[in-house]
Amino acid sequence: MATRLRGVVGFFGFIAIWQALASLGVVNSFLLPSPLVVAGAVIDLTVDGSLGRHVLASLERVFVGFLVAAAIGILLGLVTGWSRSTSDVLKPIVEALRPIPPIAWTPIAILWFGVGNAPSYFLVFIGAVFPVFVNTFTAVRGIDRSQINAALCLGAGPSLLLRDVLIPASLPIIFPGLRIGLGIGWMCVVAAELIAAESGLGYMIQQNRVLLQTPNVVAGMVTIGVIGFGMSALMGLFERRVIGWSQSTR
Amino acid sequence: MTAPGNGLQLKIEGVSKRYFVRRGQPPIQALERIDLTVRTGEFVSLLGPSGCGKSTLLNIVAGFQQPSEGRVLHNGEPIMRPDRRRTVVFQDYALFPWMTVQQNVEFGLKAQGMDPGSRAVIARDFIARVHLSGFEDRYPHEISGGMKQRASIARALVPNPDVVLMDEPFGALDAQTRVLLQEEVARLSADTGKTVVFVTHSIEEAVFLADRVVVMTTRPGRIRSQVEVKLPRPRVPEMRYDAWFIQTVQQLWQSLKPDWQERSDSDAKARH
Ligand SMILES: Nc1ncnc2c1ncn2[C@@H]1O[C@H](COP(=O)(O)OP(=O)(O)O)[C@@H](O)[C@H]1O
Ligand SMILES: [Mg+2]
Repeated sequence: MATRLRGVVGFFGFIAIWQALASLGVVNSFLLPSPLVVAGAVIDLTVDGSLGRHVLASLERVFVGFLVAAAIGILLGLVTGWSRSTSDVLKPIVEALRPIPPIAWTPIAILWFGVGNAPSYFLVFIGAVFPVFVNTFTAVRGIDRSQINAALCLGAGPSLLLRDVLIPASLPIIFPGLRIGLGIGWMCVVAAELIAAESGLGYMIQQNRVLLQTPNVVAGMVTIGVIGFGMSALMGLFERRVIGWSQSTR
Repeated sequence: MTAPGNGLQLKIEGVSKRYFVRRGQPPIQALERIDLTVRTGEFVSLLGPSGCGKSTLLNIVAGFQQPSEGRVLHNGEPIMRPDRRRTVVFQDYALFPWMTVQQNVEFGLKAQGMDPGSRAVIARDFIARVHLSGFEDRYPHEISGGMKQRASIARALVPNPDVVLMDEPFGALDAQTRVLLQEEVARLSADTGKTVVFVTHSIEEAVFLADRVVVMTTRPGRIRSQVEVKLPRPRVPEMRYDAWFIQTVQQLWQSLKPDWQERSDSDAKARH
């Protein structure tokens, strides 16, 4: 509990210093509006309904891209983790694609998919798929050989081995991969919307920059931060429920 | 129930195993021309210093590994892969940590496609036989090492195998728990009449449990000698004070000492 208390103190301390700097005129209020002004902007944008619309657009994009990335990342990770010949073929390709930052995919994504939801789905997918894949692969490679042997000598066939042994044994490592993937996916959706969309939080920030509405720009940034924080917390909650059995061994 | 000596259960024929570790280096010869038979219902201890190839031999019998030469027959058929007629109890338990004790013990029945109701009843019966009743819903990390090994023994017995293979099952347990579990295994093996191959590096444990102690040499593992244990079964704690038991343990120790001394010397050298 002390940890949580210190977290709250730190957070409000940060807000207070920011407010003080703005009130005392240390920072130019056009370049960095004060927390109170930003809060006012958040309220205005919420009341006129535009913030909700943009949030929903961004969430839908990150959700779709992330689901596809999770499905493909886990599937490829399981297959390459289990089969050495598959990993010999796929690993070099993955290792060559992985260092390309998702942002660098944006121009080609617009070229391929135009403007709208599709480039965002694609960029979220690119950002999220690698951590999911790498963690799943590492998890399967690290499974205790004698647990697999135990299952085999007890008569487990391939589907029971996958469902009751390989997947649950890998989950404690797959989950952090999913969490990191979702976080990167959330950054990617905003980056994609800055240039390749006509709705969403990224688009909203970009529009308001053009209109010189800095409070709205910062309001958008704050919303992104709060939602990212919430998603990470939700994933953590879900994770603890599903892999509670591994908690005490960490 | 099967009385010992009814028939041939396992036949190990000229089994050698080489491990190729690195290109350009000579392979590690873990086993060299092992010939051994195990009768139905017999309890055989494989005794040898660590690193002599006991686990390798057990893994080959289980079907987890293939020999470099030779073969192993189970009821006359060559062993190609693991199957539920030969179940294994591992030193590190190898319980599934995401399953409760009950689910672990049921696993072999689930693999056979048995319905949940019937397998729960059977598993509970075996859990009672290893004295774990009341711990069905615990996860492995919530119970002690001795209890984990009891659960893993129940899990291995549930599919009704012909042979139970045990690889230093009590190696990680404290001395008292170890003695208690030896007595438990003595009772269970007498009750069920299962054929057991029990790997250990403890002379006392080998003699206390087995109908026959098979002594292996240091690497490359070969069979050095075999000792028939004439004590009646089930084995009970008092037999540890039997004159024949004490003498046999002592004689085995005298004959093995040079081998094991050399082993620990080379270990010590390797450490320095
Ligand atoms: N997978 C492996 N690769 C290379 N060497 C191995 C492997 N498994 C065992 N060995 C070697 O084979 C020898 C016998 O090992 P093992 O069967 O585990 O002995 P024990 O169970 O009697 O201690 C040891 O020297 C060990 O280092
Ligand atoms: Mg061993």
